[in-house]
Amino acid sequence: MLRGRPKALNRRVGARAWGRGGVGVREGREVGGRPKARSKRRVLIPALKEAREEARRRDRGMEFQTVGSERLKARPPMIGRVGQETWSRPEPTERRERAAMVKFQPSLWPWDTVRNNLRSTLTEMCVLYDVLNVLKEKKYMTLDPVSQEPPPSKQVLQLCGKKKSLAGAAQILLKGADRLSKSVAENQEHKRQRDFNSELLRLRQHWKLRKVGDKLLGDLSYRSAGSLFPHHGTFEVIKNTDIDPDKKIPDDYCPLDVVIPSDLEGSAYIKVSIQKQAPDIGDLGTVNLLRRPTQKPKPGTAHWQTKLEAAQSVLLCKEIFAQLSREAVQIKSQIPHIVVKNQIISQPFPGLQLSISLCHFVNDKKSQKVSVENQRPDDHLYVLEHNLHQLMREFHKQTLSSSMMPHPATAPFGLKRMRVVGPQAYDKGEISALQHNEGLLEKIIKQAKHIFLRRRTAWTIDSLASRIEDPQIQAHWSNINDVYESSVKVLITSQGYEQICKSIQLQLIIGVEQIKVVHRDGRVITLSHQEQELQDFLLSQMSQHQVHAVQQLAKVMGWHLLSFSSHVGLGPVESIGNASAITVASPNGEYSISVRNGPESGCKVVVQFPRSQCKDLPKSDVMQDSKWNHLRGPFKEVLWSKMEGRNFVYKMELLMAALAPCP
Amino acid sequence: MGVCVVSQIPAVEGKSVQQTVEMITKKLEILGAVKQGTFCVDCETYHAAPIVNNSGQQGKLMYVMHNTEYPASCFALFENGPCLVADTNFDTLMIKLKGFFQNAKSNKIESRGQRYQFSDFLVKVGTVTMGPSARGISVEVEYCPSIVSNDCWNLMMEFMQSFMGSHTPGIPSVFTAKHDGIYTPTDTVIQYMELFNKIRKQQQAPVSGMR
Repeated sequence: MLRGRPKALNRRVGARAWGRGGVGVREGREVGGRPKARSKRRVLIPALKEAREEARRRDRGMEFQTVGSERLKARPPMIGRVGQETWSRPEPTERRERAAMVKFQPSLWPWDTVRNNLRSTLTEMCVLYDVLNVLKEKKYMTLDPVSQEPPPSKQVLQLCGKKKSLAGAAQILLKGADRLSKSVAENQEHKRQRDFNSELLRLRQHWKLRKVGDKLLGDLSYRSAGSLFPHHGTFEVIKNTDIDPDKKIPDDYCPLDVVIPSDLEGSAYIKVSIQKQAPDIGDLGTVNLLRRPTQKPKPGTAHWQTKLEAAQSVLLCKEIFAQLSREAVQIKSQIPHIVVKNQIISQPFPGLQLSISLCHFVNDKKSQKVSVENQRPDDHLYVLEHNLHQLMREFHKQTLSSSMMPHPATAPFGLKRMRVVGPQAYDKGEISALQHNEGLLEKIIKQAKHIFLRRRTAWTIDSLASRIEDPQIQAHWSNINDVYESSVKVLITSQGYEQICKSIQLQLIIGVEQIKVVHRDGRVITLSHQEQELQDFLLSQMSQHQVHAVQQLAKVMGWHLLSFSSHVGLGPVESIGNASAITVASPNGEYSISVRNGPESGCKVVVQFPRSQCKDLPKSDVMQDSKWNHLRGPFKEVLWSKMEGRNFVYKMELLMAALAPCP
Repeated sequence: MGVCVVSQIPAVEGKSVQQTVEMITKKLEILGAVKQGTFCVDCETYHAAPIVNNSGQQGKLMYVMHNTEYPASCFALFENGPCLVADTNFDTLMIKLKGFFQNAKSNKIESRGQRYQFSDFLVKVGTVTMGPSARGISVEVEYCPSIVSNDCWNLMMEFMQSFMGSHTPGIPSVFTAKHDGIYTPTDTVIQYMELFNKIRKQQQAPVSGMR
């Protein structure tokens, strides 16, 4: 500090002070002014004192100087005692003494060492400056690098250092990665949480949910749709978020899961089948559990959706079966319905049994085993199974609509249609028809009867058509049927003569218990469910068709109809229906053909020749005259099976052509 | 629902109403009709209060009738006037309307008897009672398959002749009154009302046929 101070103070005086050599530093301190005069004056201070005072008064500049010096005096004591001593304007006596000391003991000046050091430094600096100048010139002296041995390599040290720094970096990276993964996991957790909520929202769109305590319970029953089934049908919604984040998340992972009641697990279906013969009573109740392939969930639907839907369908199947078995016990029928375990057996027709069974299997190995053992041909009546479901829904709707609000204050409860019963004055019959409510079982049995009757009718017609080639049977089934009624149009034709032989057209209306046959001419015949009746009827119609065909053909060929009878009272008695017969005469009346066709005895064709052509006729004594030759002669049977031609009508045509004379 | 003809048969000379009814039913049974329970047609009379009758017509009567053939309905009708068909709740409504319509309890009249079915025909032979005493015999013949009254009249008349003989009625006025000829349940009730009114009047004026 002491050293630095003078430097700062001397900045102005600078080299001048140094250059003057022995001149005191004190002189340099005087700012501005006339240094020479000062030095003189210093010596003559006492003498000049008065003059100076005068001059001060006179000269403003002097005054200024005084002010400046005083300002200097007021400086903080940084300068220390030395400064104070040096710069303070001493008392006249003191000044005098000191002046004497400076004069006589210059070496004792306190800044002497500083000055000396500065001088030596200056010298050295000057030398350095010179050397540098010389070096810069590069004429006399140059600097050459001195080859030195490289310092011993510190590879181990370096390695250690590197290792340490790398470890540091790695630690930082690891820390960052850790933090990142943590945040990612947290994100996922949040996402999962969010997913649960969104899934819950989706669930709520399709299912009824309610909160009970800290549980979320849902309702998969059909109660809100009008079901009266007592099963509560409750499922629980659980959160499935606590899976191990380290493990791979399965593809079908869903943060929401549902717990369904154990009795609704697995899958179930109602099986309806019709069997011909009654099985052994011991077999009852062991319904074959045909295992259906588990349905793959549709892409895009949630896991819980399929689960709930399956449970719901199980519930519906159970409800249907419960309803059916209740009705089966209640309904009095001629042959009581049997309810054994999961099977309801009813006899719609003698020798025929309708079985409705509830097949419910839970996904475990045991049931699978059973199903393999009992594998039987698939004899489902899918239509009836579907209809059962539909009927159940209808039943639901009915119960729902009967209690539906708003309800007129004066109207009676019950069916909506019953409200008009009073004002419209329905009579007893109409009201009882309104109130009559068929149960599920009755309806399904009726449908089953109809289906069976329809199938058997089709089978009968088909077997007849395949067995009998001539005439042909065509059956045209209507595509749109009622559940209790369907119709078929049966045409009996001969091949190649469809246009002229169209006499037999039958409309068969197949009902529940019987078949109604409507003829082309409007006659109605009612047949029972026995297939033999239909078969016999069709056979008799076919035999009649042949005779009708001959009649039609005769018209076309120009032959004359002599007699026609669709129910001949002569000849052998047929076991089925009656034989029919026709007689036609050739255009010129020479020949006549008589055909008798019975459903059982088949056809018999005889030709009557003119008398003149018969050579073996015994000469009659009565008919001597030649005119009697024009009388018809005896009948001769045609060996019909040996006739040429592919069918009856064709043969007949050939026969007629042969007998008619060429024009 | 078909076409009905309601008529009255006077009691046979020297026999009570009950005996005459038995005779007719026996005839029907011999004919081959099948008994199918009973029937009842009742009629209550209400006097309209003066407030309702502001037009000055005195003593306008309203009849409230029930017919077991139409168990859910209640018929309210004026003579020659409109006929209302309502729910059976109408009876309770009439109690509420006491201020306007007063029930003439003593005028309650009803016809009870057996219901017979003969193929397409329904025959109801009933004893008309007013209070405790039997006043006459009503015979209702219904031809179920049709609702066009004029088309059935001849057939019905022929059928009625088979068991009613000389007491077969003439064509009822309701048959001819209608333009379209469609028969409705109210026509049956109107016929019963007319019958009951006739019987009431017969009671007031002594009738020889009743003995």
